[in-house]
Amino acid sequence: MRIAFINGSPKVKDSVSGELLKILKSLLTDKNAEVDTYELYKPQINENVKEELYRYDALVFAFPLYVDGIPSNLLYCLKSLQEFFCSKGPQNIKVYGVINCGFFEGSQNEVAIEILRNWSTKSGLSWGQGIGVGGGGMLISIKNIPLGHGPKKNLGNALHKLVKNILDYKSDNDIFVTPNFPRFLYILGGNKGWRDQIKANGLKVKDLFRQL
Amino acid sequence: MKLLIHDLPKEEFTRLFPNITKDILVISNNAPIQNCIGCFGCWIKTPGSCVLRDEYGNIGKLLSKCNEMHIISECFYGGFSDFTKNVLDRGISFIHPYFVIRKGKMHHKLRYKDRIKLKAWFYGSDITSEEKETATKLINANAINFNALEHSVSFYNSIEDMGGESI
Repeated sequence: MRIAFINGSPKVKDSVSGELLKILKSLLTDKNAEVDTYELYKPQINENVKEELYRYDALVFAFPLYVDGIPSNLLYCLKSLQEFFCSKGPQNIKVYGVINCGFFEGSQNEVAIEILRNWSTKSGLSWGQGIGVGGGGMLISIKNIPLGHGPKKNLGNALHKLVKNILDYKSDNDIFVTPNFPRFLYILGGNKGWRDQIKANGLKVKDLFRQL
Repeated sequence: MKLLIHDLPKEEFTRLFPNITKDILVISNNAPIQNCIGCFGCWIKTPGSCVLRDEYGNIGKLLSKCNEMHIISECFYGGFSDFTKNVLDRGISFIHPYFVIRKGKMHHKLRYKDRIKLKAWFYGSDITSEEKETATKLINANAINFNALEHSVSFYNSIEDMGGESI
């Protein structure tokens, strides 16, 4: 089975989407699963990549939630891919999506998952499953905590189900994941993070509130 | 003031909306635009404006001067078109990085005191019922995140159908 991982984050390095795909890859140990990874961090996709993506059994997109939807760099690529796929005709490719947001609640990714599902329908592909991951803001800082433990317990359950569905070429209901961590602490930590970052840039905390 | 973001070709826009008054700031696809790179510089390096240097770095500031945001966009899969979404991604300096709870869920605090009204116009000849449902949910979600005073969404089979509508 040939699987394409597609990182749709515009961040060139240290993206949460990249971290989630790394975790997924570690779970896809089936010897029949061949995984290739593509990075679509620019708003262009070349013709070779479009041809290649048409030949996989499954496309697994990972991207961050931007303004309740798909980041524009990926949206430009998806439009171009949809036109290409439509010109080639329907194909038996399942589409899966792992969407993360900085908000605590994974359910806030619901609309972006729907947009990806609508894209797969319009592209002549079939929908597999969406995983909406909340608490994306802390996933990099806790990357050394094993999946399925502590704050990553729910995430582990969801990603294991997703991997099984991909390998079985199966469609399933979307899953929304919240961290196993108190929300008020996540918010306190997040707000402190912004203060630390603006100070690290040589500005003052009050500059966070600047109005133009 | 009103902010109007649209993705129509210049000639079509002028033909369909010939009476744009001076109190409407218009954002069009008439210059090269870079995409948001997720750096959060508009919150922690140059608070209030985007760090990318092109003609679309001041969307947050422009929005702060307005009490209404109108978005005219081709419907892409139940969401905004690539250009329109790019403009919105580049405008997150309008909100503040701090987190708050709103309607039971985590959202961002507002940077500015005044709240906006949000109106979305989606056009396209093949918008499916699923896409309309998704787009309606999207505008609801946007309205909560912008803490909008009110919001509405309309669908048009053709850009011609929008002609004569008032902004």
